[in-house]
Amino acid sequence: MLKQLLKFNWLSFLSMVALMAIGVVFIKSAGEARNIAALQDAWRMHAATALFGLIIYFTLAFADYRKILDLCSTPYFLVSLILLVAVLAFGSKIYGGKRWLLFFQPSEVAKPAVIFMIAKVFGRADKPTNGLLDLLYGLAILGLPAMLILAEPDLGTALALVPAALVMMLAARVCLRVLVPFLLGCVLVAGGILGAVHVAETSPDPATKERIYRYLPLKEHQQARLRTFLNPEADPYGGGWNLRQAKISIGSGSLTGKGIGKGEQKFLGYLPPSVSMNDFIFCVLAEETGFAGAMTVLGLFLVLLLSGFWTAVRSDDDRGRLVAIGVMTLVFVHVYINIAMSIGLMPITGLPLPFISAGKTFLVILLASLGVVQSISLHREEET
Amino acid sequence: MRKVSAWSIVALVAVVLLGFAELTHALYRVQVEDVAEFKQNLTQQATRRMRKPGIRGRILDARGGVLAESRARRDIVCDMSAFLSNGGISNTVAAADREIARLSGALGIDRPANLTSGRIMRHIRTASAVPLCVWRDLGEETLARFAERAAQFPGFSIEAHAERIYPRGTFAAHVVGYTGRDRTAADADSARTLAYELEMKGRAGVEAFYNDYLAGVAGAVRIPVDARGFKPRAAVKENMTFGETPEREAQHGLDLTLTIDPDIQAVAERQLEGVRGACVVLDPRDGAVLALASAPTFNPNEFVPFLPAQRYEELVKDPGHPLLNRATAGLYAPGSTFKPVTALAALQAGINPDEEYECTGVYKLGDMRLHCWNRWGQGTMNLRRALEQSCNPYFARLGYLLGTNSIYRMARELGFEAKTGIDYAPEYAGALTAPPFYPGLTCQSAIGQGRLQVTPLQVAVMCATLANGGKVFAPYLKKRAENAPRPEPVRTLKCAPEDIERVRAGMRDVVEGAKGTGKAIGARIRVPCAGKTGTAQIGGGEKDTWIIAFAPYDEPTVAISMVVERGDSGGKTVAPRVHAILAAVFGEVEE
Repeated sequence: MLKQLLKFNWLSFLSMVALMAIGVVFIKSAGEARNIAALQDAWRMHAATALFGLIIYFTLAFADYRKILDLCSTPYFLVSLILLVAVLAFGSKIYGGKRWLLFFQPSEVAKPAVIFMIAKVFGRADKPTNGLLDLLYGLAILGLPAMLILAEPDLGTALALVPAALVMMLAARVCLRVLVPFLLGCVLVAGGILGAVHVAETSPDPATKERIYRYLPLKEHQQARLRTFLNPEADPYGGGWNLRQAKISIGSGSLTGKGIGKGEQKFLGYLPPSVSMNDFIFCVLAEETGFAGAMTVLGLFLVLLLSGFWTAVRSDDDRGRLVAIGVMTLVFVHVYINIAMSIGLMPITGLPLPFISAGKTFLVILLASLGVVQSISLHREEET
Repeated sequence: MRKVSAWSIVALVAVVLLGFAELTHALYRVQVEDVAEFKQNLTQQATRRMRKPGIRGRILDARGGVLAESRARRDIVCDMSAFLSNGGISNTVAAADREIARLSGALGIDRPANLTSGRIMRHIRTASAVPLCVWRDLGEETLARFAERAAQFPGFSIEAHAERIYPRGTFAAHVVGYTGRDRTAADADSARTLAYELEMKGRAGVEAFYNDYLAGVAGAVRIPVDARGFKPRAAVKENMTFGETPEREAQHGLDLTLTIDPDIQAVAERQLEGVRGACVVLDPRDGAVLALASAPTFNPNEFVPFLPAQRYEELVKDPGHPLLNRATAGLYAPGSTFKPVTALAALQAGINPDEEYECTGVYKLGDMRLHCWNRWGQGTMNLRRALEQSCNPYFARLGYLLGTNSIYRMARELGFEAKTGIDYAPEYAGALTAPPFYPGLTCQSAIGQGRLQVTPLQVAVMCATLANGGKVFAPYLKKRAENAPRPEPVRTLKCAPEDIERVRAGMRDVVEGAKGTGKAIGARIRVPCAGKTGTAQIGGGEKDTWIIAFAPYDEPTVAISMVVERGDSGGKTVAPRVHAILAAVFGEVEE
């Protein structure tokens, strides 16, 4: 038991709990802006979900992750796929996307499913994984759920999956001679699209613009978001509104913030609670606690991430390493994209800030995933 | 065999650190370096400019009597943010609706008919940050009843707003004028300016002419608003780093004292009651307007705060044109009051005033027959007698001898066919000639008929010029400061003083001579008076009747012109009215 306590990754656990507590505080703060019971009580829901998630966390942490991977990866992955199909069929439409099935979001459920599945497939020491077929298999594990999520449509979530899966496949050296050039190609294509949009937007000739957009695989609202990203000042009351308000919130927070619960932007309604407690909660936090608070949160995330990667390094098992890398990359991608979009470093995408944003499915899924990472830490072979 | 090397994890950690470094740098830029910009963006988007008009100055008569002032009108207003409800805006409208009905019951006053749900909705859409006026101009009793219950009605409050009032109603209405809403006042400020307090500007009279002097300059404050444009709730306000911030102080308008003598003005107005006409009384020593009246008139209080469209229609369609200031914008034929002009022109041209002319009652020129008012002829005339008895043939012959040019030149010198330069608008210049020309027009003009078009104010200026011995003053309404120098005349007539004196003497005979046409003017007045009657044929047997008069004869202090439309004759219709004015100024001798 004492050994277990020593092996327990306290840094990871404590930073995670601290982040969830911060989440409770700022969901409460964001909810106060409107006199609506559901919004004012959202923080209770977050706390309750966190407690429920912690039960799952500990259950998984004390179970042997190898058994979990062996037994659950495939069924979990298949169930995820079924849920993703189900949400397309029966889901309720909110904000122009079918993302909700009853009380949860299947796309969140699918995130660790991909990670566990890739870890299970490529983490077996006895099997070489450098063939082209392996690569195609890996891409299929990523691609199937990603395509279904894209069909919801939820480009942001679909894209958030990609780095985690690719990093795992790179780490597992899955057919690097094809994967690396492929990835480089992808980067070039993405850069090319952004460049093309830039050219289209700055071109004085509307015909050129129209011709460029005709050949780009972008939907109307995606074009608009990229446009806003490239030139946020162009339309401050339309597409640029959210970014402008996010930046005003964060910027006016200055060094030490306006005090917890005293954010003006949320009170005045420039950050409505529908976004301020979800994807834009970082703005509330940064406005009320300033640069100091933002750095504290970034620091906690860094501690969480580094302790997770430390778990990966300490694990002598490829599967353990892959799961830890995957989960930590997933967390990092969410943190980075969420904050980066709030300050205009990236186009606006609807990704929550892990542990802090109000979102029950994602929080439970994160706690479960971190539980597995904790299990990797607890069940490592002690070097003697 | 281990596939996942520690180095790949290290590489990953490096990427993560890089990402965090980038975020840190970006946050530092936004939260530390560019703070000022974002703070300014915040206050800019969350405030609106509200203009605070200065209080309009008073308008006073020459003795300090108040003709126009601003009073505090007290309204019950409601702040929409008190009724903010969840859900659509219609819930908020419904809540406001309900509360207004409840307060209406509690105060026992009816809800204003124009305060419909639609109007509340419109207010929320366009100006939710400022209160909505529910009941305007409430009496003490209702306000007291509200004050007792105010705690039960959050959102409602009493506000005072400046509103124009004309304490003497129709008195000097054409001089004072009225105000109306100024819709362009706020244009000077940026588009994010809320329309709240009505900004008024003078629309007529000295209210319009001296608007800049009276109005002052609107101040401005920035008031905080939320994203939907509502005033932030009290709880929110406590947490805000900025509140109501004054941008500039309002400057109140100045008081305007007029030259109008209230007693003379009152008599002049009384004398015009029931007729259409105008009267101007000038101080011939400097051109000060002592009275300026036009009848029928209107009550400027009707224009506060707006004249209802229907009432405006009525006023405009009224055949008496009450809004028209006949004194400055009414164009009339001057009739025989023009004869002094002809007389002066004749004297200037060297015509012998003592040359005798036999009036037979008609003057013939070709086919034209120009009758004297006395069909039987008035006998032997010279200039002075012709003035006294207003002999048409005599002056028609003068016109024939002089020609139009010298008559018009003299008329222009006396101020006709040009604006007098009074500090008032609108003012018409009138005209001396208009086509077509016909033989005998000169003779017609010489007796004040023909195509002459003059305003009573121009005739008053002419009368004042004759009174003071040839100095043409621009009439003025704004009283000079005590120590200010007397105004200089616009010009002095190029006439020999004895010529002017000759005409003046003729005018004295009109009043005092045995056969004077205007004896009623000066009867029993304590000082010697001079005058001239005029009866202008305007076709259809109708006549506009005139009197000009000045007194005391030797050192005149008043010069009067009065016209009454559709009268019998100057001597019969107008002379008693002018007499009343002179009597009020100089008093009457006891019989």
